[in-house]
Amino acid sequence: MEILRILSLLLDYPTQELVAVHSELQTLVTDSGLTAEHQTAVNDFIQHRCEGDLMAWQEEYDGLFERGRSLSMLLFEHVHGESRDRGQAMVDLKQQYQDAGLDIGVNELPDYIPLYLEFLSTQGVQNGRFGLEEIAPIMALLACRLEQRESDYAAIFHALLSLSEAPIDLADLRSQIDKEAPDHTSEALDKVWEEEMVSFMANETASCGEGNRPSEQQRRDQYIPLNTELLQTSTNPTV
Amino acid sequence: MSHLLDKLRFFKARKEPFANDHGVTTDQDRSWEKGYRQRWQHDKVVRSTHGVNCTGSCSWKIYVKDGLVTWETQQTDYPRTRPDLPNHEPRGCPRGASYSWYIYSANRLKYPKVRGQLMKLWREAKAKHRDPVTAWESIVSDPVKAKSYKERRGMGGFVRASWDEVNELIAASNVYTTKEYGPDRVTGFSPIPAMSMVSYAAGARYLSLIGGNCLSFYDWYCDLPPASPQIWGEQTDVPESADWYNSNYIIVWGSNVPQTRTPDAHFLTEVRYKGTKTCVITSDYSEASKFGDTWLAPRQGTDAALAMAFGHVILKEFHVDKPSAYFTDYVKRTTDMPMLVMLEENEGRLSGGRFLRAADLVDNLGEDNNPDWKTIALNSDGRLTSPNGAIGYRWGEKGKWNLEQKDRNGELDLTLSLKDYRDGLAEVAFPYFGGAPHEYEYFQHTEHSDVQLRQVPFKTVELASGGTAKVVTVFDMMLAHYGVDNGIGDSSRASSFDDNVPYTPAWQEVITGVNRADVIRIAREFASTADKTRGRSMVIVGAALNHWYHMDMNYRGLINMLMMCGCVGQTGGGWAHYVGQEKLRPQTGWTPLAFALDWQRPPRHMNGTSFFYNHSSQWRYEKLNMTEVISPLAPKEKWNGSIIDFNTRAERMGWLPSAPQLGTNPLGLTTAAAKAGMDVKDYVVEQLKSGDLKFACEQPDNPKNFPRNMFIWRSNLLGSSGKGHEYMLKHLLGTKHGLLGKDLGDFGGQKPQDVEWVDDGAEGKVDLWVTLDFRMSTTCLYSDIVLPTATWYEKDDMNTSDMHPFIHPLSAAIDPVWEARSDWEIFKGIAKEFSRVCVGHLGVEKDLVTTPMHHDTPAELAQPYGVKSWWKGECDAIPGKTMPGLTVVERDYPNTYARFTSVGPLLESIGNGGKGISWDTKDEVKLLRQLNYTHANEGANQGMARLDTAIDACEMILTLAPETNGHVAVKAWKALGEFTGLDHTHLARPKEDEKIRWRDIVAQPRKIISSPTWSGLEDEHVSYNAGYTNVHEMIPWRTITGRQQFYQDHEWMRDFGEQLCSYKPPINLKTVEPVLNKNPNGNKEIVLNWITPHQKWGIHSTYSDNLLMLTLSRGGPIVWMSEIDAKAAGIEDNDWIEIFNVNGAIAARAVVSQRVPEGMSMMYHAQERIVNVPGSEMTGSRGGIHNSVTRAVMKPTHMIGGYAQQSYGFNYYGTVGCNRDEFVIVRKMSKVDWLDTE
Repeated sequence: MEILRILSLLLDYPTQELVAVHSELQTLVTDSGLTAEHQTAVNDFIQHRCEGDLMAWQEEYDGLFERGRSLSMLLFEHVHGESRDRGQAMVDLKQQYQDAGLDIGVNELPDYIPLYLEFLSTQGVQNGRFGLEEIAPIMALLACRLEQRESDYAAIFHALLSLSEAPIDLADLRSQIDKEAPDHTSEALDKVWEEEMVSFMANETASCGEGNRPSEQQRRDQYIPLNTELLQTSTNPTV
Repeated sequence: MSHLLDKLRFFKARKEPFANDHGVTTDQDRSWEKGYRQRWQHDKVVRSTHGVNCTGSCSWKIYVKDGLVTWETQQTDYPRTRPDLPNHEPRGCPRGASYSWYIYSANRLKYPKVRGQLMKLWREAKAKHRDPVTAWESIVSDPVKAKSYKERRGMGGFVRASWDEVNELIAASNVYTTKEYGPDRVTGFSPIPAMSMVSYAAGARYLSLIGGNCLSFYDWYCDLPPASPQIWGEQTDVPESADWYNSNYIIVWGSNVPQTRTPDAHFLTEVRYKGTKTCVITSDYSEASKFGDTWLAPRQGTDAALAMAFGHVILKEFHVDKPSAYFTDYVKRTTDMPMLVMLEENEGRLSGGRFLRAADLVDNLGEDNNPDWKTIALNSDGRLTSPNGAIGYRWGEKGKWNLEQKDRNGELDLTLSLKDYRDGLAEVAFPYFGGAPHEYEYFQHTEHSDVQLRQVPFKTVELASGGTAKVVTVFDMMLAHYGVDNGIGDSSRASSFDDNVPYTPAWQEVITGVNRADVIRIAREFASTADKTRGRSMVIVGAALNHWYHMDMNYRGLINMLMMCGCVGQTGGGWAHYVGQEKLRPQTGWTPLAFALDWQRPPRHMNGTSFFYNHSSQWRYEKLNMTEVISPLAPKEKWNGSIIDFNTRAERMGWLPSAPQLGTNPLGLTTAAAKAGMDVKDYVVEQLKSGDLKFACEQPDNPKNFPRNMFIWRSNLLGSSGKGHEYMLKHLLGTKHGLLGKDLGDFGGQKPQDVEWVDDGAEGKVDLWVTLDFRMSTTCLYSDIVLPTATWYEKDDMNTSDMHPFIHPLSAAIDPVWEARSDWEIFKGIAKEFSRVCVGHLGVEKDLVTTPMHHDTPAELAQPYGVKSWWKGECDAIPGKTMPGLTVVERDYPNTYARFTSVGPLLESIGNGGKGISWDTKDEVKLLRQLNYTHANEGANQGMARLDTAIDACEMILTLAPETNGHVAVKAWKALGEFTGLDHTHLARPKEDEKIRWRDIVAQPRKIISSPTWSGLEDEHVSYNAGYTNVHEMIPWRTITGRQQFYQDHEWMRDFGEQLCSYKPPINLKTVEPVLNKNPNGNKEIVLNWITPHQKWGIHSTYSDNLLMLTLSRGGPIVWMSEIDAKAAGIEDNDWIEIFNVNGAIAARAVVSQRVPEGMSMMYHAQERIVNVPGSEMTGSRGGIHNSVTRAVMKPTHMIGGYAQQSYGFNYYGTVGCNRDEFVIVRKMSKVDWLDTE
């Protein structure tokens, strides 16, 4: 799926090289399997961004994706956060690339979204779609958060969602994000700060230590808890 | 027959059960086990630890799988301790265990970044000018361009850059600044080298090679206890935590051991099982309180009053009524108690003057070498004597600088009290400070006169000048001052502990709120234990006492108790100050690397507090007049100046260092002198005297004197340690700030006398601010350039701590991720680019360096009597004597990189050393050539040992330091023996052939070798404890008397009434009144004292923006307050509150708790501005950090120099950044605005 390589390029840090080939990219987008609606949105993004000042674009990129966690371009930031499972998850993902005969050739982590998209682009249409489906919840989350920040980067993630064909209820997600978004005096905000009672025996069916973790709502960066089970199993070929 | 066929003869069923049918063998596919087998598989385990700010220095195992760090666990292979002493393990804490997350965190800095606006300017300039230096000039010399990027600081807008591009920009800026303004306009700040010492050294080596300033940090963090240099001539030396276990009585005073010394706290628990009694003294119910058999809660900031009362009881019962033989012998031999002090007359009143010196007496009492610096005592046979060990014996002669009880005529038995030798009783005036009311009446005062008169037995001595003087012993002065009656018929002293006379247990009740019976009981327990065990009583003390303006009184108060009871220098006894991290054990191996002493000497050192106070223009807002804090006996007119005046005087008299140094580029002075046909030193002196040349500190608002370039590494200066945060934003950075107060010009305050006043104070003084970090910190947000560094698991480096005697490594488990590089590689890269870019601008240059009179050099004998200003003609201007020393240093700028990467020639030609002794290092340099190999190519460093990698640098430290190289240790002890006339080499002989190398410490933490750099021993029989070699090897303390000093006799100490320890209440900073009830939001405003302790969920080994830490605490900025105050202000737990005063404002959540006493508010140290901070209603911008409401306030007694132990040393002596006298207004916020649109 060549379109994934293009979207990967657009989600990576913007460079002069990208700007230089922007009209060719637009042609490729038009020829891709994206729906007309998404083709227009992506091409508008390319047009608007490449016409503007590159450095302003870079500043904005830095401010969006390299500051804080909520828009991190690392998949597992949204799944594992800072838990110890993260290291293993990366190891597993790397194994997936190796099984496909690919090694990471640059100084980048395996769960970097543009890198992952590039990988999918080499795996054929069917596998590419499966791969996208696996990360669809994260794409949806990022799309909605970007909408909330009124960033046109949302268009890229919507395009990816569309390609994944995953049935995700964006309206529901949006209303959840919207509810929490202003965050001024809502109870949700208080929840973030609350000190939860430590209970050692509360939930014996949960795995060790589970009961003592901070609840997901206490993570201000992650208003919408992701279904980590889904992601873990799908990116982990050994299970 | 049929039976035979029924059975198989040769086979049996494979699945036959066994173990009584409990077991069965199966052949199922076992691949399902992979899931958990692989989960804990790893490719390698690497030893590392956590850097900058953690005193723990715990060894960790880092697990690496497929090139990725997956988790860490505690190392458990520390060498065992001896029998009957618990082991150091388990070490480590939850903060360390959550560190691996940082490596892959979303907050990790991945690429070099430059603010977009600056990048645009730079690329444009580069397109126009081929030469990068000219390009930089075109930006900073254009005020519009300069302002355009400076005012964007702190507002995001970073773009990525390549290493080549940022290195060129930084080098160009450094070269331009050096050429145009001088190398001393380039400055770097990095704290605590003990933790990752090579990373510290990387930046310091680069700066030192080009002539930039390195700022001190220990004093700036207010972790330096000035009482230690005053009393012992020692920066700080403390017992290792294992020695707590040897103690028989422990007072834990203002130190939260379980919280801030987590991996060591077990020794405190264990020693209690052994039966040791403990008393915890903290104002709030801290986590340490539960460790105490007794918990005392004096009002915060009044600890000195409590200590004085303890001292009163000890003196009365153990020195006067029933003298302890051990105590009496101890104070006679090791303290200044028997020393004679002259009484000086002032307006008809006698008060304590300076020590009597040999030079005062006829024929110098036979002492012709340094008679000005030899103190005098009375021998029991009635003759005056100059006992061995005074600082005058240290320099200019050999073999008599020791603590043997001898003088030139033989054995001595010194007299403590003149009671039985007296010529009479003199009425002596003692200043009393406890009677002054506090501005908010929060601290209580007593109704005693500010001058207390006591009768003191004196002797009259004949002076060489022909006159006579009344002299008294320090011991008698102590009894009089503490109000202890010793039967000489002085009715002004207390007749019982219940008398309300200053410093009795009854007297302190009003001030501290502690019951007198508890004071008497604890003092008795403490002293009687010390008496029975020869000094095994200990005080563990922390920041809660050290962060006050009068911290030296708090500290001297409790150190006095220890000295009175013979505890200092004894196993299980003494002073255990654990604030900050000062112990870089292989120090003398490290200093040549860090300050490039192998190439050039001296380096430029600067005391951090004075630097920031000056350059962030805090002095422009100063409301504290020195007449408010001096002694009632001191002449007021002499102290009618601002704090900055006294600092600039100290700089000009050669007491404190300066940065920048002179009001002109020091590279041009040699040429100018040659033009004038003069020697450069004579030329500079003449120019200074005529006033044509000034010190830079006299004109801080002159653009010539701005600190143009700043490097920050291993530190979050603007996020945690920046007292006067908002002042820095305004004046140093020139960006948006939350400063609420007006400057002296605006409100018509009294302006400084010696410093030039400009109505519009300079803003945005710094042209280029570069920060190295591995995460986006508050300081990074404000920087022009941010460089991504390696984390603790990505670099090779070393750690030592004062808490245990081991040295161990940080080692690279993986290469730095993304574009990150180690600090060593980063500064090496900048040095390389500097060497390239400077060609055509800078060549081999002669740089004139000024230096203060340093402690541990003969210059510490510079100014024996009085304070004289050469610029007023009170004395001649003599470099190194009455003004800073002047040295010409040759800098080879194009060879900066060549020098950076090789071990320079001075180690062979001059040698190495520290703390006043030096030794030859030819063998060690030769060894380094073999270990690290040599530079083969022709050039400035051909044939020299290589310093390419951080491991090469580690080997340099380890090879040169006596602590890690037994041969050097023996040489060092031998060198010290020449001074003392005693043989100390037996302390290192057993380990003479031991050489600890990099690979050794990677294999296992190693215990270091005893060295004269430190006053304790690393031994199989005793745990490390400070002062041990002073007491047991008779090595003098590095003070004027050579002994521990109860008495301080410098003129400025006397003007501050600090000859002896007193209780001095917190000072009035006047920061609340101008904004109290001026901008109401409908909620009640209350005034509280502001305390900023360390927290559980942040610093040390991780930072508080770690989400694990955030969720374990409340997740954002919180401020603790009492139930009573909360009720008064209508605040409930978890309410949003605002905290403000003229310095700035903070927004936080209230934690209402019984832990906190009335009148106190607490905010944990270093909560990040980048996390969950809403806007402040007062300033309209994002609420500040804990230092937004503080500001540095300096004390002139910390500026004293050229006077024995009160001489400058980097991180040893100097002004400190205290902040706990501060008060704030607290009120509930009416609305919370997250400023998300900003």
